[in-house]
Amino acid sequence: MTETLLSVRDLKVSYQVGKGSIDAVDGASFDVPRGSIVGLVGESGCGKTTVARALTRVIADNASITGGQILFDGQDIAALPEREMNALRWRDIAFIPQSAMNSLDPVYTVEYQLNEVLRRRGGLGRRQARARCEELFEMVGIEAGRLGDYPHQFSGGMRQRVAIALALALNPKLVIADEPVTALDVIVQRQILDQLRELQSMLGISVILVTHDISVVAYVCDRTVVMYAGRIAEAGPMDAVLMEPSHPYTMGLRNAFPDLKGAASGVLTPIEGAPPNLAFPPPGCRFAPRCPFAVETCTTQQPALGMVAPDHRVSCHRADEAAKLRQEAARTETWLADA
Amino acid sequence: MSHLKAMASRALQLALVLWAVVTILFLMFRLMPGNPMAAYIDPTFTVEQQEALMAQFGLDKPLWEQYLIYLGNLLQGELGQSFRYREPVAERLMTLLPNTLILTFSSLIVAYTFGILAGAYLAWRRGSVVENTAIPLVLTTRAMPEFWLGMVLLAVFSFWLGWFPAGGTRPAGASYDSLWALYTSREFLSYLALPALTLAIYSQGLPLLLMRSNMLDVMKEDFVTMARIKGLSNWSVVVRHAARNALLPVMTSFAIAVGYQLQGNVVVESVFSWPGLGRELVNAVSASDYPLAQGAFLMIAVVVILMNLIADLLYSLLDPRISHA
Repeated sequence: MTETLLSVRDLKVSYQVGKGSIDAVDGASFDVPRGSIVGLVGESGCGKTTVARALTRVIADNASITGGQILFDGQDIAALPEREMNALRWRDIAFIPQSAMNSLDPVYTVEYQLNEVLRRRGGLGRRQARARCEELFEMVGIEAGRLGDYPHQFSGGMRQRVAIALALALNPKLVIADEPVTALDVIVQRQILDQLRELQSMLGISVILVTHDISVVAYVCDRTVVMYAGRIAEAGPMDAVLMEPSHPYTMGLRNAFPDLKGAASGVLTPIEGAPPNLAFPPPGCRFAPRCPFAVETCTTQQPALGMVAPDHRVSCHRADEAAKLRQEAARTETWLADA
Repeated sequence: MSHLKAMASRALQLALVLWAVVTILFLMFRLMPGNPMAAYIDPTFTVEQQEALMAQFGLDKPLWEQYLIYLGNLLQGELGQSFRYREPVAERLMTLLPNTLILTFSSLIVAYTFGILAGAYLAWRRGSVVENTAIPLVLTTRAMPEFWLGMVLLAVFSFWLGWFPAGGTRPAGASYDSLWALYTSREFLSYLALPALTLAIYSQGLPLLLMRSNMLDVMKEDFVTMARIKGLSNWSVVVRHAARNALLPVMTSFAIAVGYQLQGNVVVESVFSWPGLGRELVNAVSASDYPLAQGAFLMIAVVVILMNLIADLLYSLLDPRISHA
């Protein structure tokens, strides 16, 4: 039994658009250790949801995995025949969607939807399934009396709990949570994240938490993977990546969010500009057009994902100057002057 | 408790709609040009005789008084006497209603069963050659006039191939112990086949296209994607989740289609000499048989209103979001 549950190697996912194709994920590599929560963070369109969905191999009709490996428990599931992949779904890899409102079928009761998974996928009998339903509802803190209710009868936070219960139904090894709290208000967000963390450590499962909100990552994750324009910018232990970021993009993200420890640090500094059009990605580093520290090599050569510290990888030509860049990045002028 | 209240307000609404229909019918026939008695009264009658008859039918009374009498009669189920047949309208219509209902429901059940299955299939096979040929074909059937389609089917299957009788509901001179015996006889089915097929071909386009476009929408819903991520079988994903949800508006349209079909029947019943409400209505209007026409209109309106009520109930039965709201 290895320490790493999931290892994504040089994953490429393309969307067919008209006659051309767009590489939404262009060579993503990261690891998910057993029993950890890994935050996959990045702005809209950076490919994080595409990565998440690629792990289930249920992707859009016009999308396809065009390269790389997804080693799950040592087995490359990117190359698995559909039948075998389907056997793995939900039993080993479960999914918590962003909007539990739309992801629960409105015409069936919650118990029906739990049963569907427990009995059809888990092979449980009627009584066992009922007992498991009650157990799952207790785990997520909803009274069993509400099992017979329809999705629309629950509040947003409750529905998200139902989605968590559904994901845990078959004791999966990996749960992929795609923006699980984005649609909720901050108080409920915290409750749901606490619950997710608690259940994760209790059950010893691994979680990939996809989010655009770096404070969510700081709140629950053990490790962070920062994505930018279809590539991994930086990956490593959460503290190391967020407290001592080595990629200018991560530094910029830090400035653009309220202080993670809650102390009022003053002004928020946005990263000017917008991510590149992935149909025509810039040569070299994809962040270069927005990067205040870009030098000539950055616009011509694609940086490799290199090691800056044990277990901490960064894809930046100036990674060895990170300490100096961090100081400069802390000043608002650095980001505005470049715009 | 709120359930009872909803039912009560629904019933009140129905009563109001019914009253409006009844009133419009009353005024419509009295505003129509021509003397309602023209068909009934022999031209050789003297003026006194004519006036005596007008008085006998209550047509000499002021309009409001006629209206009150009419309402009172309706409440007792009294639809008046047919001018032409000289028999109670209610009785005559009740013998025709079953024929119309059987024709309507048999054709619609065929149309909807076929339409729903084919629509779901075409959504599933989106972009294929099958779909690309089927859609224009369906649109063609939708565009064909019913009477024309009926006549083509008559020409081919009745006159040319001789597989089915040309019109009516039973062989000449045949008699049956009861209506039930007639409706369950094989002869009746062979008489029913062509008109029902005509209506079915005409009606299948709506449920088919509706089901197809609903399916295409629902297939994009998150819960369908989730069903796939859950590793459920294709059948579960497409039928249990996608089709089940896509079906909701189609089922409602069924109940409403029954109402529309009753009007469509007018044409097909005439083509196939099918003794139903529609044909009777046409005959009654052209013969200025006002009580009969009025009664037929009313009966069609009642069926339409009832089917709308059933559509509502059906929806709340099929969609928990409505019934638990």
